[in-house]
Amino acid sequence: MKAVGARVPRYDGVAHVTGHTQFVDDIRIPGTLWVKAFRSPVHNAGMSNLDTSRAEAMKGVHVITWEDVPLLEYGHLSALGIPADEPLLAKDEVRYLGQPIAIVAAPTEEAAMAAVDVITADFEELPALFDVRKAFDADAPQIHAEGNWYRHFENEMDRRQIRKGNVEEAFDQADLIVQGVYRPAAIEHAPIETQVCQVVPEANGRLTIYSCTQALYFSMGVVAAHLQLPLNKLKVVGGTVGGGFGGKVDTATETMCALLAQKSGKPVRWRWTREEEFLCSSTRAPWHMEIADAVTKDGWILGRKMLTLHDSGAYSRFSPYGLTKHSFHHTGAYSIPNLEFDGYVVYTNRTPTTAMRGFGVTSVSFATETHMSRIALELGIDPYELRLKNANRIGDTSPNQIVYTDPSTVPTILAIADAVGHELTPEYRAMTPGQRTGDLLPEHLVGQLADPEAH
Amino acid sequence: MAVKTGRGFAAIEYPTGMNQNGDPSQAWIKVKPDGRIDVFAGTSDIGNGSKTIQSQIVAETIGVPYEWITYDNSNTDSSPVCTGTFASRATFVAGKAAEKAAENVRQKILEIAGKELEIDPADLEIIDGEVIAKGAPQKKISVPDVAAAATWTYGELITGTGAQLKPYATIVEPETGKVDLPPHSAISYASCAAEVTVDDETGVVTVTRLWQCYDVGKSINPTLVEGQIEGGAVQGLGLGVLENCYPYYPSVEHRGSRFGTYLAPGMEDLPQIDTIIIENPSTDGPYGAKGIGEMANNAQPPAIASAVYDAVGVWVTELPITPERVLRALQAKAEPTRDGKTIVFDAELSVNAVGSGISFGTAA
Repeated sequence: MKAVGARVPRYDGVAHVTGHTQFVDDIRIPGTLWVKAFRSPVHNAGMSNLDTSRAEAMKGVHVITWEDVPLLEYGHLSALGIPADEPLLAKDEVRYLGQPIAIVAAPTEEAAMAAVDVITADFEELPALFDVRKAFDADAPQIHAEGNWYRHFENEMDRRQIRKGNVEEAFDQADLIVQGVYRPAAIEHAPIETQVCQVVPEANGRLTIYSCTQALYFSMGVVAAHLQLPLNKLKVVGGTVGGGFGGKVDTATETMCALLAQKSGKPVRWRWTREEEFLCSSTRAPWHMEIADAVTKDGWILGRKMLTLHDSGAYSRFSPYGLTKHSFHHTGAYSIPNLEFDGYVVYTNRTPTTAMRGFGVTSVSFATETHMSRIALELGIDPYELRLKNANRIGDTSPNQIVYTDPSTVPTILAIADAVGHELTPEYRAMTPGQRTGDLLPEHLVGQLADPEAH
Repeated sequence: MAVKTGRGFAAIEYPTGMNQNGDPSQAWIKVKPDGRIDVFAGTSDIGNGSKTIQSQIVAETIGVPYEWITYDNSNTDSSPVCTGTFASRATFVAGKAAEKAAENVRQKILEIAGKELEIDPADLEIIDGEVIAKGAPQKKISVPDVAAAATWTYGELITGTGAQLKPYATIVEPETGKVDLPPHSAISYASCAAEVTVDDETGVVTVTRLWQCYDVGKSINPTLVEGQIEGGAVQGLGLGVLENCYPYYPSVEHRGSRFGTYLAPGMEDLPQIDTIIIENPSTDGPYGAKGIGEMANNAQPPAIASAVYDAVGVWVTELPITPERVLRALQAKAEPTRDGKTIVFDAELSVNAVGSGISFGTAA
């Protein structure tokens, strides 16, 4: 029997649907302490006089603050050389509602909540920024000391840039310039399993971390960095996740629980409530995108200018990665020879945004494809044919000048045209992903395509 | 006042593996004395089916029944590195590591079978759990017997490791974005047509049909890949017409705090979905597979936005396309501004209108 290509049932499907799969929340360790968080009650503020003494005086209660973290700032992308900008626990300022400040462990859930209730701090509230379009204004609230947008792309550039061809010439030559704005929303990952973690301090000095992470080794690396421990001191147990969609690439609970397990010497468990999951966990980013395309009457896209403001929320997390991926794909499934893309990771006082299914590209697919439909309507060209004409082909190059070796844009468009009964002219029906020749090599693409001999 | 029908279309692409690469996955495999196979990998299964997919790849590569495979991704002590389950990489990158480990195990089984059968391992193949001489199928030994011989006769452990890592692609020209290597593994492609109804009195958009075509490279498990595509379609429908953390973005007011106040799609929102899978194999994925897990929710929102325009003649380019937004657009009937050859849509949403520190494009 062939295993590859077979419709074998999901490996753990029956156990999932009969309730037998053991997820993190099903782990039962005697003597486990419950964990709760003292979180920022405001969007943006200076913080002082953090006082956890009354909580710590309660029976069986343990508390950690920023002072307990060996390495307070470790970025999600530190391993790639991208500087950290987020403390594990807030130190002297808070930048979003719900930001964790102090974490408590107590013998019961009620005791943990009671301990959180007696923690106090003074907050000197500051104006908050929520609109990425206003982040650049002279009078905008200042969120980060270094400014309202991320400034650490290569060569310390403050934006992600793509430049290809001669975009001004393309706009001069264009018969039509079509400009539009696209704004997809922030989205919750909304997994059935909220963020949850159990940490057990073992007799041999190791910490066993039961985690719902989407990335066992990545999360282990994050915990090891904050705690300044070698990897042999940690064992991450997991691999079976009750829904992630990108939100469980963030290491949301593991590090704090590991610190509390170390401090208390007891097993600890933190299961976020549904409210915490919705209000404090990271979201898919809202994006602001503006596109101007230079097009000819017969439907060739000569050039594109694009501005993207990626709403990172209060800290950068994976956003620089997401924006870079976005920029690499901002022409969608088409070949556009002249490009000018500028993208910014913009800080706001919003819950930090993070990876979610389609990270960086879901947004640009919405923008570019809606824009393509608008161009087709403006030109009076069939929307399938406009796309088939400009579809990337073997030998064309991507925004960052990589040769497309085997694109399937044309076959997938034709398949849907057939499925919905959308009639195409014979000329378009006969199109293939093959190298452009004849009418498919219009003047504007001459010299813009890869030299097949060079590869 | 009427319920109007419209159709829209979108074509998309999506890369496989982490952008700019540099994301390793590893696997190791050992064979029990009765020939059953233990696979250890660090790939979290978030519902994407990677336990199943990697088990299928290992069974196929070694040549044993799928049921012989035990897959263990339970902890970092026994499982090697996997960068993680994201970036549509679990089948493509981690699956490739599993394939390489299985190929090494296959070679080891053939070596020991060669000793037992006194045949050059190059002249042997493994089919359905039996090592068979090519061209002389009566000369054979079962994989369980090979594993027993390895354990009890030769004192050997049949094991194999595999790792997959595409080198990091550096941006060599930050000003242009030029990279020194392809910053992706395979690129996958998809198209989607959406049919919607729009009630121009209530503003309600209902997605009634989705036609979708995905180039998956190779469908390792058709049921699971169809599940990804259909599940992704529903998530894309949520992006298109329902979901929003901040209903009045950029305002943070009115944020939903529970499922009752956050509109994720439910079964009643499910449209008819027609899925077409095409297989244009990748050059370096396992068995030609690509990764389509994430892109499965990317094509619907633009197809839906175009379908709404087709139905009622207004563009809603802020997602989701809620009844309120539809009604406001119908009321405004905004026309783009036209100046010479320049047509500007959505001027009121632009940084040019809202901000003062950054501008874009050509003012019409």
